[in-house]
Amino acid sequence: MRTRLLAAWLTASLLCLAPNSPAIAAERTLSVTIYADDLALVQDRREIDVKSGRQRIEFQDVSAQIRPETVSLTAADIGIVEQNFDFDLLTPGKLMEKAVGREVTIVRVNPATGAETREQAQVLATNGGVVLKIGQRIEVLRDDGLPVRVIFDKVPDNLRARPTLSVTIIGGRAGTRPATLSYLTPGLGWRADYVALYDEGGGKIDVQGWVTLTNSSGTTYENAQTLLVAGSPSQVDGAGGQPAFHRGVQPRSNLQQAGTESGTRERLGDYYLYPLAERTTIANLQTKQVSFLDVHSVPAEHGYEFRNRWLGTTETPQSAKSIYSFSTSTHAGLGDQLPAGVLRFYMRDKRGDPQFIGESRIDHTPMGSTLSLATGDAFDVKVRAVVDKRTRVSAFDWQSEMRYEFTNALPRPVTVKLLQDGLWGDSRISAESQKSTRRSADTAEWAVTVPANGKAALTATFDTRF
Amino acid sequence: MRKAANRRATLRCRCVLAASAAVCALVSATPAIPAETPTGASGETAADTPSEISVTVYRAPFRAAGSINLDDLEGFALISETRTVHLAAGTQRLRFEGVADGIEPSSAIVTGFPDGILEKNREGKLLSPSALIDAAVGKQVTLLRTDKKTGKATRTVGTVLSDAAGGVVFETSEGIEALRCSGLPETLSFTGINGLSATPTLSVLVRTSSPLTQTVTLSYLARGFDWSADYVATLSADGKTMDLGAWVTLANGNGVGFPSARTQVVAGRVNRESGDVEPLDVGGPIFAQCWPRGSTSDSPEYLQFKRTLQFDAARDGYSKAVFAMAAAPRLEHVIVTGARNAEQEQLGDLKLYRVPDRTTVASRQSKQVRLLDRQAIPIDFLYGADLASEGAASIPASLLLRTSNTAANHLGLPLPSGRVAVFAASGSEKLLRHESGIRDLAVDEEVEIDLGQSPDVQVTLEKEKTNIDSAHSRSLPLVPGVLMLRSVDIDDVYRVAVSNARAEPVRFELRLQLPEGARVVRADRPLGTKNGRPIFRLTIPAHGGVSVRYQTQRS
Repeated sequence: MRTRLLAAWLTASLLCLAPNSPAIAAERTLSVTIYADDLALVQDRREIDVKSGRQRIEFQDVSAQIRPETVSLTAADIGIVEQNFDFDLLTPGKLMEKAVGREVTIVRVNPATGAETREQAQVLATNGGVVLKIGQRIEVLRDDGLPVRVIFDKVPDNLRARPTLSVTIIGGRAGTRPATLSYLTPGLGWRADYVALYDEGGGKIDVQGWVTLTNSSGTTYENAQTLLVAGSPSQVDGAGGQPAFHRGVQPRSNLQQAGTESGTRERLGDYYLYPLAERTTIANLQTKQVSFLDVHSVPAEHGYEFRNRWLGTTETPQSAKSIYSFSTSTHAGLGDQLPAGVLRFYMRDKRGDPQFIGESRIDHTPMGSTLSLATGDAFDVKVRAVVDKRTRVSAFDWQSEMRYEFTNALPRPVTVKLLQDGLWGDSRISAESQKSTRRSADTAEWAVTVPANGKAALTATFDTRF
Repeated sequence: MRKAANRRATLRCRCVLAASAAVCALVSATPAIPAETPTGASGETAADTPSEISVTVYRAPFRAAGSINLDDLEGFALISETRTVHLAAGTQRLRFEGVADGIEPSSAIVTGFPDGILEKNREGKLLSPSALIDAAVGKQVTLLRTDKKTGKATRTVGTVLSDAAGGVVFETSEGIEALRCSGLPETLSFTGINGLSATPTLSVLVRTSSPLTQTVTLSYLARGFDWSADYVATLSADGKTMDLGAWVTLANGNGVGFPSARTQVVAGRVNRESGDVEPLDVGGPIFAQCWPRGSTSDSPEYLQFKRTLQFDAARDGYSKAVFAMAAAPRLEHVIVTGARNAEQEQLGDLKLYRVPDRTTVASRQSKQVRLLDRQAIPIDFLYGADLASEGAASIPASLLLRTSNTAANHLGLPLPSGRVAVFAASGSEKLLRHESGIRDLAVDEEVEIDLGQSPDVQVTLEKEKTNIDSAHSRSLPLVPGVLMLRSVDIDDVYRVAVSNARAEPVRFELRLQLPEGARVVRADRPLGTKNGRPIFRLTIPAHGGVSVRYQTQRS
């Protein structure tokens, strides 16, 4: 293959004597580093043929969304004069526009006989319509609607089928040498996707982690060595910033306890690196997934949670959230840090087929953390919160009596974690039917056990300034 | 790699004419464009068609109670397919064809390969006219010109130079031309372009040491499905009981059908996080964009914008990506199967309903399966009104149908949220009384079905007087010596009149909505509380009325 290729090369070069045409660097080895935040670093190693003196080298097949200001070209014994990113695309209109003042060949085809008449014409203008000068006559192209072919003899220099990067260099000694072109581009991104199969009887989960790569950069990266970086380097321009899923999503924190363990994975500063084992082709508009985690039988707990806002009254009973929690520790956990992504929960039905039971998004999670993820609403476990009485004790003091009613239509007892928000300032709980714990200054927490197919109630009196 | 060489050869030759162009054409005439296969791939195979399919439909997570909208199915489904694959030894790409168009590629799970898989891919580029031209850029194509008069076709070999912004520029031995700008019938014909598929296709890269025939399971989530429970309540003639029947209505808005599938629906709300569907390029139309085509008879106005528009058009032409499922055609068939009821089972905190027999979930079809049939459920009718303190004029009371989801009431089973249509007998006819929604109801919960407003029972609220009790005012220093806050009690007296134009007495609940810190201090009727709010439970006589006076105090 290699020798045949070289032969083709030589034939082409020998036949086509073109002193001023730019050198085209094509043979390449790609390495792509993808950050989680729609940003990638592409390093493109090619053999370039450098002549002595000033010349232009073109790099085709760079990302269509390349950030040209981040381009750097390194090769031995060259000096860079300037870099150009040509995004003037080759279209019929552009071709005609650039031909103004030049000669083209027009071929008139007689619609009755099919006979062709060839003439040389000079393009005078392309404003609205094409004005041609044929000999001493001036005509508008296809003014009469009859077929006329226009044949151009060359493509203008900086019109391209694809956006192309060109670098003008001054070569030292002539010869072929390796060069590395590196640049940043948006349009490539990755995230993690997890599949968790929960075993209800054993209270265990199996978790598989997949890296999902997406490419909307307009270019295919063939046979690239790929490295994924879990972390979002700050970007200065408006393009990056917060990932989309950080905006306006659930206030509930999934991370219950941040981990303090470190794993064996490769790191870059504070970022974890996930190299793909083999070279891969990342096609344009392709979604690609590669496995990075597969753990079985990790202990997991299933519980319920209900969060009530301050003075929240529910006229009809509301479902509690169904919560699954597990650890990412090496001891009785997943034993890995988890890059941000979506965790999908499955559970086997009575026939043994896995069925989807909900999903939850996680952020970059260090090893040794405890995660508690909400998968949806519990059909059978419901809570009704009622403000029973609210009295003004004095001008700035209020007393609110709250009642929480729990119902459970499941044939087993459940424990619901009730969170009452909004206890700002020096709010106190002056009376309660069950001891609470203060999760934070603003939030009180009760663990209420509801019997199988039964009901439970909790009352609490709050002394507040509002 | 050979491809790169070809392109280089043709680009380099562009400067020289005639003779050398012929040689160059020979150089670049290496046949067959290789498929875009990943490195090391020794081949490409397709999995057999599914031998076993299971479809589990989930309702749209944020749709309130009510029925599905066939034009906009926002729910999703879990589809599991069992397929047989035949693998040769080595590394190869295995394609799963005929997956739902709404597939969320990142949710796909493939199990059953003894050595696992190397990677999963979903190609976003579909076979379309524009994708063909796009794939042919820099490659050899045949230009076909047909003479209008004689019908004779002329074939010319050439190279596509560009397809940017919808215009096609190609090169033949004659020179450079633009496609379909001459007014002659001309088209391109392609050879050897592959790696493009007609429908979204999922593929996996697998490596085996020996040839293998294996049964594998592919499961994935797909959009464009939804289901709802549709209840029909029929009131008995005496108004004391009702019969309740329900259908599960499920719909598939995908272009792919699932023959003879085990079908389930899941009730309850599940969390959904992945709002994004990966973009698909279904290919835009090719408008043979040419140079300006103005003639001497055109009006000259549009010359002005021409230049400013060009850049944008070029950029837009690059991102032709659209989203899958953008415009599903209308669903057409409705199939009703009613022989046996769906079987319910517990799935974690959700309820799973199994369609008893295998059924075909066809493309763009909605299907109904019987969910339940219960008779003689005792019911109560109740009129009610919610009153804020600043009253309106006369308002009609709302009518509620109330029962309880217990075994004693011939119910006692989970009722998934949906739409309920209430019918009442009128002589021998059945008439629709009202249509409303119910939420997910667990066993033993109270069931309330809204029957709308009743003009026969009217409620009027009047404030009779307001007392400000200055004698018992309290003073609070805000800024000592400068600003004082005076706190007084305010008493309001209200009168509520409820009238009944019906021929029988009705039960009525008057619920009060008091402002912050207010309470009822005196009333001429017994006062109760419900959900922490004061309530009067009244019986309004036939063709009569009742009035209630009460006093509230605010401080």
